Amino acid sequence: MKTVNKKLYKAKSKKVLNVVITYCVLLIVCFIFFFPCLWLILASFSKSGSIYSFDGFFPSEYGLDAFKTLFTDTTMYNYPKWFLNTLFIAAMSCIIGTILTILTAYVMSRFRFKSRKAMMKGTLVLGMFPSFMGTIAVYLLMTQFGLINQRWGLILIYSAQAPMGYMVQKGFFDTIPYSIDEAARIDGASNFQVFMKFTLPMSKPMLVYTALTSFTWPWSDYILPKMLLQDKDLYTVAVGLMSVADDATQFARFAAGSIIIAIPIIILYFCLVKYMINGMSAGAVKQ
Amino acid sequence: MKKSVPVICAHFVIILAVIIALGVASVVNGSTEAEGNEKFTGELETNCTLRILENDTAKEQGYLDALLTAFNEEYAEYGIVAVDANMDQYTDLETGGPYGYGPDVLYQANDSLMKYVDGKHIMPLPVEEMECYSYISDKAWDAYTSTVSGQEYVFGVPVNIQQPLLYYRKDLLPDNWEDEWDDDKDGIPDMVEYWTDLYRYSKQIKEESGGTKYGYMKSLNDGYFASGYFFSYGGYVVGGDDGRDTTDIVFSNGDGYLGGKIIWQLASVMNSECEDDSITKNAYYRLASGAYFATMTTPDVYSLFYEELVSEYESQGYTTSEAEALTEENLVVTTVPKLPVSGDLEDESQGFKEMTVMGGVNGYAVSSYTKYPNAALAFVEFATSYEMITTRSEMLGISPARSDVAEEQGGLNEVIYENLDNGTIYVMPSVRALSQVWTLLQTFCAILAADALSGDNVYTDMEVLKARLVQVDEQIYAAINTLVS
Amino acid sequence: MNKVLTKTKGFFTGIPGKIKNFFTGLPAKFKKKFAYAKEIITQANGKTCASMLIMGLGQLLYKRWMRGIMFLFLQAAFIAYFVLRGASDLFGFFTLGQVEGNAWYGIEGDNSVIMLLMGILSIFALIFYIAIYIVNVKDAYYLQCLDDTRKELPTAKDDAAKLLDKDFYKTALTLPVIGVCIFSILPIVFMILIAFTDYGGDTVPPALVSWVGLENFQKILTLSQFAPTFGKIFVWNMVWAILSTAINYFAGLGLAILLNKKCVKGKAFWRAFPVLAYAIPGFITLLGFKTMFSNGGPINYYIQQAGGSAVEFLGLNSTWSARIIGLCVNAWISVPSIMLLATGILSNINQDLYEAARVDGASAWKQFIKITLPYVLFATTPVLLSQFIGNFNNFGIFYFLRDGYISEGYFLASDTDLLINWLYTMSIDNNYYSIGAAISLIIFIITSVISLAVYVLSPSYKQEETFR
Repeated sequence: MKTVNKKLYKAKSKKVLNVVITYCVLLIVCFIFFFPCLWLILASFSKSGSIYSFDGFFPSEYGLDAFKTLFTDTTMYNYPKWFLNTLFIAAMSCIIGTILTILTAYVMSRFRFKSRKAMMKGTLVLGMFPSFMGTIAVYLLMTQFGLINQRWGLILIYSAQAPMGYMVQKGFFDTIPYSIDEAARIDGASNFQVFMKFTLPMSKPMLVYTALTSFTWPWSDYILPKMLLQDKDLYTVAVGLMSVADDATQFARFAAGSIIIAIPIIILYFCLVKYMINGMSAGAVKQ
Repeated sequence: MKKSVPVICAHFVIILAVIIALGVASVVNGSTEAEGNEKFTGELETNCTLRILENDTAKEQGYLDALLTAFNEEYAEYGIVAVDANMDQYTDLETGGPYGYGPDVLYQANDSLMKYVDGKHIMPLPVEEMECYSYISDKAWDAYTSTVSGQEYVFGVPVNIQQPLLYYRKDLLPDNWEDEWDDDKDGIPDMVEYWTDLYRYSKQIKEESGGTKYGYMKSLNDGYFASGYFFSYGGYVVGGDDGRDTTDIVFSNGDGYLGGKIIWQLASVMNSECEDDSITKNAYYRLASGAYFATMTTPDVYSLFYEELVSEYESQGYTTSEAEALTEENLVVTTVPKLPVSGDLEDESQGFKEMTVMGGVNGYAVSSYTKYPNAALAFVEFATSYEMITTRSEMLGISPARSDVAEEQGGLNEVIYENLDNGTIYVMPSVRALSQVWTLLQTFCAILAADALSGDNVYTDMEVLKARLVQVDEQIYAAINTLVS
Repeated sequence: MNKVLTKTKGFFTGIPGKIKNFFTGLPAKFKKKFAYAKEIITQANGKTCASMLIMGLGQLLYKRWMRGIMFLFLQAAFIAYFVLRGASDLFGFFTLGQVEGNAWYGIEGDNSVIMLLMGILSIFALIFYIAIYIVNVKDAYYLQCLDDTRKELPTAKDDAAKLLDKDFYKTALTLPVIGVCIFSILPIVFMILIAFTDYGGDTVPPALVSWVGLENFQKILTLSQFAPTFGKIFVWNMVWAILSTAINYFAGLGLAILLNKKCVKGKAFWRAFPVLAYAIPGFITLLGFKTMFSNGGPINYYIQQAGGSAVEFLGLNSTWSARIIGLCVNAWISVPSIMLLATGILSNINQDLYEAARVDGASAWKQFIKITLPYVLFATTPVLLSQFIGNFNNFGIFYFLRDGYISEGYFLASDTDLLINWLYTMSIDNNYYSIGAAISLIIFIITSVISLAVYVLSPSYKQEETFR
């Protein structure tokens, strides 16, 4: 009896220890991820613009000036306009890019056709090419299409390049058992119907992931918009903020601008988080 | 079989014939040289919009608005409207211009503008016919003169002269400076007149405060400012007769290494922030907070120092108007101090000489891709008139390139104008390859500064310093010339 | 480890055999194709021949309007493109321009770079046209065969249904393939071809660029400065790519598993912190970290407050501290995205497997090794690979963190620079485009061989069918 108790006790203490360690690690990890963000948030509430007025990580005086000027003082840095530009470009590229990527990945996972292996190896190899070398060509191409200083030009490029990153999604589709497809096909569904009615709903985590990545890429890309958008009123936030960052006395404004562009992504995450967790409920299909 | 092969052949023969015929036609067509026209006909284009690229300060301080309004009023009868191009102030005309996305008129530094000459991206201007021609110094015109296929052209109209200046806080001078720090009794504190005294004063501040306050502070790795020390002792960049020979870059020429010694010594009274661009960024705030006594930078950033100091005084309890008055009184901008002939900041025995500084001439140029060259020229003429340059100088605090305005305003502006004339300003060479000089020079200066601060003292041996500088010259030569075919 | 080694060895020793098989297999492959082509040519009837003459004509004669109009439209579009600009573009590709522009007098001249680019596009168009032509002939012959055997010809409705079912892949891939061809492949081909021209230095438009053959490669091989710098940077680049991929991957996976534990309450809350990091654009993070570690930054402020002397984290002589900071910052940026992905994949694992394992009394570690890891590895090999590629070509980290130094013994590079940073300095900062393109081509060949080898050896490629 005693030994059993002891064993139980031991198991229990082991479990408690496990939980304690888990939470400790979590706390450390969260601190690591949160601290730089906190620093940025505090900096945005600093009264003085210069980061060198700080006592170490923390501003010596707090105020809302940075946020106020961010939205009101638009002669040099038209942040509200940049924000809308970015939102438009990122949203459109996200929608089109996600559709194209998911389609590509699904086809690559489910169909067997002649040039499939060649295409897979091809995209892999092409991805190795230093991307900025290609941006020169993209710029020249856009001058020929008359798409410089056009938001649609950027959307076109982001959406068109998105399917190159289909590998992750393909890996995911590979793990969805074929038995579902086969069952549906026996019922007379076409491949398109299978895709729409069965595969897509089961792939919500992947859809969310794809949408998030294809949203965040244009959202924070710098090189391409810097090259294609020359009118300051057409800038995206990334390009605009870089010009703010060059101004040494505007660190608070830079921080405030950064915080605000991070907000939509955080909101998106919180809205979509349940899909990421519950999306593919465990054991939907027994293998 | 009988039918299909000829049919396939017929299809491709037709297609190929079309392609080859059109292609050959285009090649033949393309090889004939097109006739061009002279663009400056003197006839103003009417009802057109000119896109003007100005610098950020002009925009921020409202000068651009004033200029555009004045111009648009004057030329309203022709229907010419000038607008802000609203682009990055450093926009490269070469990338957008040829495809129709550039501005019509650009205001940039001479080195940026002149690199467009090779590709004929900016127009040669008939400057002799302009009103401002005789008022602007030949040295300033030289910065915009270049020879293209044997003929000399002028490509821009100088507006302001940029040179490094010393910014310091008058209220941070020692109370007894008139007795202790004015050996020549000229009423100017020695520490803003001679590098030796500035060094001595900085050393004193650093020692007394235990490293929380400093005297002269500057990011020493900044090639634009650091190169002046080398020039002052004989070094030079891009020699040759026309000053465009990129195989001839010799910082170690003459006693150039002494410039390195001075950088080393200056570093020793600073802290490790001088090894990167930290000080350039924090000087605005730290000069205001009193942590630094002086720094060196160009005149166009005056407003940044001004604003920081005003807000500092305000936080000390002064009203805005009091703070502004105090700032105007205490924030002093002056020409850079004199260097010791000996090349040693601890040795004044051989007397002093003027410091040669790297400077530049900012000005207007007309894009070759503008559809309205005559209107653009009219704009340049208007923007460089006596009135506009005076307004510009008053609003932005720049040093005008026009002698009449400089004389009228006197003081520092006149001195700077003379500096350009007598050669103490080393005008930034207008060659593309120059960008490759900076990174290497920057690294070298950072090495010197790190050596002084770490106490390694490797470069206190002049032979080592000399050898290293020669090596830097070689590196620059290699960087520029190895890849040129 | 040994297993991997023998596998890798097997891959490389297998190469000669594979190449031999490929070539010995060629005749048979061609024979088959050739036989089919011969069949079409010999058996083609009038209507098929009509399609051979004008695309879509045969289909129209068979009253298959949809198909016919589609091919006819493509034919017309192609001819219109070539008449309008394709033909001159195609010839421009070879001449790269003959008349130098002179903007002073409004002479437009030839822009060699544009001509090269549009020339490639016209070649793409030509290849595309030939492919369409073949499809068109096959299609006409297919209709002919059906007609000959008195079978029902497919209606437009049938065609549409087929495109959503059996040929769904064609429908789905059309747009992505066109997009990728124009915006990903075309630029790459362009840059590869630039390596064979003298574009760069003073030879930039309006000056005329010309083809120079292998001159750039010759230059790279003969210049004494290049080889040592290349070697040093390449070694560091490999170390960087492997280390950062491993760190990011296992940290991300570990974090996901940690958050997936049953005992963790408020998962969404905990997960929000890494996502916060994920939400901030990379360049902001990088600028932030640079400020933090710079000489006048907050970290040095605290060190000095505590009485220490300032540490040069990213300075001139701080090779390894800068490299380690680079690794950590990169992890900070990349771990959250891998964590999110791993979370999705973990929730995909069949819970019965764990149930069974628990019944068998397997420890948590055993469960991880036997169930979680193989599954996750299988599902994420592509991620691992794309992470590796991404890290190998990670331009941003050291560009933002440590720019503007040139280290002793390096040619135009610092000791933390990756190959891509070196390339950037050379081709963008100093505009030696052709040399930059030549070097990137060499790097490209090396890296793509490595990654192809890894990919072909990876479990998810080899056993694509396992998890069905």
